[in-house]
Amino acid sequence: MSITLDFNGKNLAKGKSLHLHYLPAKISGDGEANVETYFNNYTREAPDYGSGMLNNALRGYPLVGERMKVPEGYKGLVLQETEKPLSESADRQLRLTGVFDEFTYWNYDKVPSNGDPFRQAMLMADVAKALSEPISEQDLEAEIRRNLESKKENDS
Amino acid sequence: MEDIKIKEENKTIAEGDPSDDEDKKDIGKITSLKSLGPFIASRENSQNTVYLSDVPAVCKDKPCMLGVDEAGRGPVLGPMVYGISYCPLESKQALIDLGCADSKQLTEEKRDVIFNELNTLEYANSCVGWAVEIISPNVISTSMYRRAKCSLNEVSMESAMGLIQQAIDAGVNIAEVYVDTVGPPEKYQEKLLRRFPNFKITVAKKADSTYPIVSAASICAKVTRDHALKVWRFPEGLVIKDNAFGSGYPGDPVTKRFLTEHIDLVFGFPRLVRFSWSTAENALANKAYDMEFDEPDSEKPKYAGTKLTKFFKGTTKDGEVIREECRFFKQRHLSNVFEF
Repeated sequence: MSITLDFNGKNLAKGKSLHLHYLPAKISGDGEANVETYFNNYTREAPDYGSGMLNNALRGYPLVGERMKVPEGYKGLVLQETEKPLSESADRQLRLTGVFDEFTYWNYDKVPSNGDPFRQAMLMADVAKALSEPISEQDLEAEIRRNLESKKENDS
Repeated sequence: MEDIKIKEENKTIAEGDPSDDEDKKDIGKITSLKSLGPFIASRENSQNTVYLSDVPAVCKDKPCMLGVDEAGRGPVLGPMVYGISYCPLESKQALIDLGCADSKQLTEEKRDVIFNELNTLEYANSCVGWAVEIISPNVISTSMYRRAKCSLNEVSMESAMGLIQQAIDAGVNIAEVYVDTVGPPEKYQEKLLRRFPNFKITVAKKADSTYPIVSAASICAKVTRDHALKVWRFPEGLVIKDNAFGSGYPGDPVTKRFLTEHIDLVFGFPRLVRFSWSTAENALANKAYDMEFDEPDSEKPKYAGTKLTKFFKGTTKDGEVIREECRFFKQRHLSNVFEF
């Protein structure tokens, strides 16, 4: 099985910029939504919860949210698969619907904080960076020297 | 004669002609029945709105009675309105002359007339003041759907106490308070006394028909609710001819039709509807996309020490070792994904 990302990575900047909402609900449905009139229309600033906080509601459930940026060095993409694969081994093709650098993150009746699973998971960006960043000769030698010294200290 | 005149005034309000200069002149003040609709229309209908009439000078000097009542508690549509009215103890006759009696016995037209006279006739507005809070259906839904659920009774009591407090802050010399209630009066009375220990407080069922000052409050609340529905503009962009969505009571066929015909697959209803009503919930079931929120943390932490069998659980039947996910990733809600 192979997955083809059917777009040119160099042209991402030209992709349609999307305004997305990260909602604390599972919606069993797919399709267009009247976001502008039924939702965006009702977003209000909520300084009582802290600077930059917003509030709104979804089907009567109170939401507290904030604007969030995609981690630095990353780009948000929305990909869509027009044909569902028939079997697990079938080749798949994903198309680019749009791009985003910012989105609105919403919690159900809870002020967004570092305790939110989403923010905690975002640490993965740092982990990935640390793991994949090239290490220079000098850094490596410095690390080896540090290790030797601490070993000596422990031994003595 | 009076009745007909009022009806005509109603018409212009309902049509909401934006070029009518008179409507726009002073939208911050309600001086007659005619200015009520434009005032409400100028406020955001997804938030609560409080309005206080000017306090008549005598109400600051002489000891006053104050009545509290509500309108629109039951309907699935539109705001709930809390109303208060007050006047000096000695001015009770003015209320009776106005026709403030059991508001359930009054027709909508008659209530409109009384409300108009209360604001325009000198003998009335020189001694009777009033205030209302329009509790938005959006606020009702979001309060009742909070993680720590806030019942409609709590919302009501907060509103009533808030209005009384605003009357005190505005300088009304309150001596006696009369409150109409549908629930058990004792608890309510106790709560009010704790907050306002210096007043003589009476909470009673059907106070509306017993005390003219409560009837006056009731009329203010009812007239305000009726007009709030008449001038309702949908931020969702819906246009309903004459705002004909019925009384909002679940049994009303017009309301029923409105609820079935205006379902948005994702967002459910326009926010005129109180989502927290079971009528609304039921109307959405099977008609709109299912939606599941992370519900309050009802799960209690399960901890009963390490289970003895834990040590045998590391392998499956065929002897394959189950590796527990690294704690670092588990705590950060990260896991491998193969399918998407």
